Amino acid sequence: MVTTTTSKTHSRPPFWRDLRVLRVVGQFVAIILVGLVLWWLFTNLVDNLNRAGIRTDFGFLTQPTQFTVPYFNTFNARNPVWQMVLVGVKNTFLAGSVGIIIASVLGLVVGILRLSNNWLAARLATVFVEFFRNIPPLVVIVFFGSAVFTFGPLPILSEALELRLPGSSDTFLLLSNDRWGIPGFTSRGNVPAYLGILVVGLVISVLLWIWRTRVNLSTGEPHHRVLWSLGALLAFAGLGYLVLGGPFGVEWPSLSENRRLIVSGFAMNWGFMALTGALGLYTASHIAEIVRGSIQAVPKGQTEASSALALSAFQRYRFVVLPQALRIAVPPVINQYLNLVKNTSLGLAVAYAELTALTQTSIANGRPAVQSIVVMMAIYLAFSLTISLALNVVNRRLQLVTR
Amino acid sequence: MNRSKLLVALAALTLVFAACTDDGGGDTTTTGVDGGGGAEEGGTLAAVQDRGELNCGVNDVLPGFGIVDEEGNYSGFDVDLCRAIAAAVLGDADAVNYVPVNVETRFTALQSGEIDVLSRNTTATATRDGQEGLTFVFTTFYDGQGIMVPASSGFTVFEDLQDANFCVLTGTTTELNLNAVFSDRGISFNPVGFEDSAELQQAYEAGQCEAWTSDRSQLASFKFSIEEAGGEAQFIMEEIMSKEPLGPAVLDGDSEWLQVVNWTIQNLVLAWEFGLTSENIGSYSGEESRVLNFIGDGGYDPGLGLATDVNVTVIEAVGNYQEIYERHIEPLGIPLAGSLNDLWTNGGLMYAQPY
Repeated sequence: MVTTTTSKTHSRPPFWRDLRVLRVVGQFVAIILVGLVLWWLFTNLVDNLNRAGIRTDFGFLTQPTQFTVPYFNTFNARNPVWQMVLVGVKNTFLAGSVGIIIASVLGLVVGILRLSNNWLAARLATVFVEFFRNIPPLVVIVFFGSAVFTFGPLPILSEALELRLPGSSDTFLLLSNDRWGIPGFTSRGNVPAYLGILVVGLVISVLLWIWRTRVNLSTGEPHHRVLWSLGALLAFAGLGYLVLGGPFGVEWPSLSENRRLIVSGFAMNWGFMALTGALGLYTASHIAEIVRGSIQAVPKGQTEASSALALSAFQRYRFVVLPQALRIAVPPVINQYLNLVKNTSLGLAVAYAELTALTQTSIANGRPAVQSIVVMMAIYLAFSLTISLALNVVNRRLQLVTR
Repeated sequence: MNRSKLLVALAALTLVFAACTDDGGGDTTTTGVDGGGGAEEGGTLAAVQDRGELNCGVNDVLPGFGIVDEEGNYSGFDVDLCRAIAAAVLGDADAVNYVPVNVETRFTALQSGEIDVLSRNTTATATRDGQEGLTFVFTTFYDGQGIMVPASSGFTVFEDLQDANFCVLTGTTTELNLNAVFSDRGISFNPVGFEDSAELQQAYEAGQCEAWTSDRSQLASFKFSIEEAGGEAQFIMEEIMSKEPLGPAVLDGDSEWLQVVNWTIQNLVLAWEFGLTSENIGSYSGEESRVLNFIGDGGYDPGLGLATDVNVTVIEAVGNYQEIYERHIEPLGIPLAGSLNDLWTNGGLMYAQPY
């Protein structure tokens, strides 16, 4: 019985009928239930592992690996497992980054080509997209590995094809079905100092970019910011090179005495090339479709208006269509980049020692399966989250601000 | 957004907490958990007999040891060992469910209880016994690791292969041994790892690797199939790199099942020693007491949980060790007489314990 004299502004139902309370309690109970299920699954796993006498901790990371990593002579079989994991991470990163670059450039070009007025160019782009999009990535990778390298026209390493520039005696390209040699850099002097100069140049070019953009926004003067930034960077690079007296030089690839190793220049093994090329083309076909879709999403009025203003096709794309289209394209492209990084796990099909391949090898050699896979999952998660975080920042900057 | 983040954080915390606190000591609060995966402690024999079928993990791509034909029939040395165990436990050598496992899945299949016994040319090592939670039974094939090169290359010793590419199957003792032997001798090399033998064979034949290293029995098997298909002549180097004792394996924690499997396999060798074959064991008429005990005459029962005449059933169904070997492995070009796998009375290593 209410005895106070203050009037209630609203009546509250009893708590067991009060929706607000029920919602909170419901969520709480759901969390507890899910936590209990996960806990039960986890202890079940630990129980079974203990019953079979298998360790359940992460101590395996400090034990010696006992096998060497292919194409990586400096890895000693006695190195601990966590160093092998780092090698896997490095290889995945290499394949992923080169793949992303190839896929982005190729995808953009093919996507625009599909909408071209040139009938042949448009049809070729369509064939490319439809071919690679409809085949599973593993099949593309194995196809590349087999068609180009294993069963391809290239000779074996000891009889590698040496391509020379006309009129010079240096090989600039070594081709074989196992490894390719391309020119590399050798340090002939103070490379860290040069890198320091480059970093300073990079910082200055970024500052110039920001300054020119501000000038353009406040005064309307054309910013020419690309020219300014690149100019500054190149100036620093050139001056640095001269001042330090040529700290690095170009090294041509060559075979060793017994014709089994590439001892100078930069060597790429066939697994890396097959994986990266295949994934680059596969993801490019997806990105091409995204680019095409986002260009078609730009209202037709924009294209008509730019024709009315007598802009050339290049100017239309560069200043009107692409800035609006690429803004829309960023979120699906993030997805494709993540897919590419995850698809590098198929590298074992072409004997490329990336993270999944090395983890599977170490599991088959006696390392505990569950913990190894947890480590592998954590690393892929880190890669994916980094990429999506970085690109989401880009996306947020590009988003149109509406009131 | 906050809700799902909370759930994910909770799940992650759960995993991390348990990983930090659990150090192989086991969780005492959940001993009543059942229905999870894994063979029940000490009950595999009963489980197999209830099921009426033996789940056997085998190879499906290695001629002579475990291979499947177009109709889906499995045959091979290791496959016959499965049939022997099925005949012993179930009375019917064909009551086997063959589960093809590859190098990655063979141990986890055994650990999860998907297979009752692994019979897939697996080398017995201390690391596998300890870290994988298995136990290896009697060694059925004494093998060693070797290197195969195309005969045209003219290589005969390991030193010829300095810096060369080696095709290996990842996840086998092959790469570990290759490492051990070559780095001890200071020969550098490059192991190119493949998941399955088909891709490996293609790369080897294309010249992407100059040498193929594996157990010599496997090399003999592949040399046979390459040369039969009209490929280049192959040469297996004389030097043996390692000991590879191959044998079936069972999961730890079930000594009754271990005894059953171990003795079924040993009895194949014992039958050979006694001169009993699939043809003559049913009609043995001699008086030797050890043989009479072996065939269960007079109800002799060593107490392993099997029928008294189990050996007659098994030998009549699959034959003794020599018959199995001659059926599958001699065609590969590895004769039994004079090899390590010969009977101990002939100078080999096959020495079964008395019945």
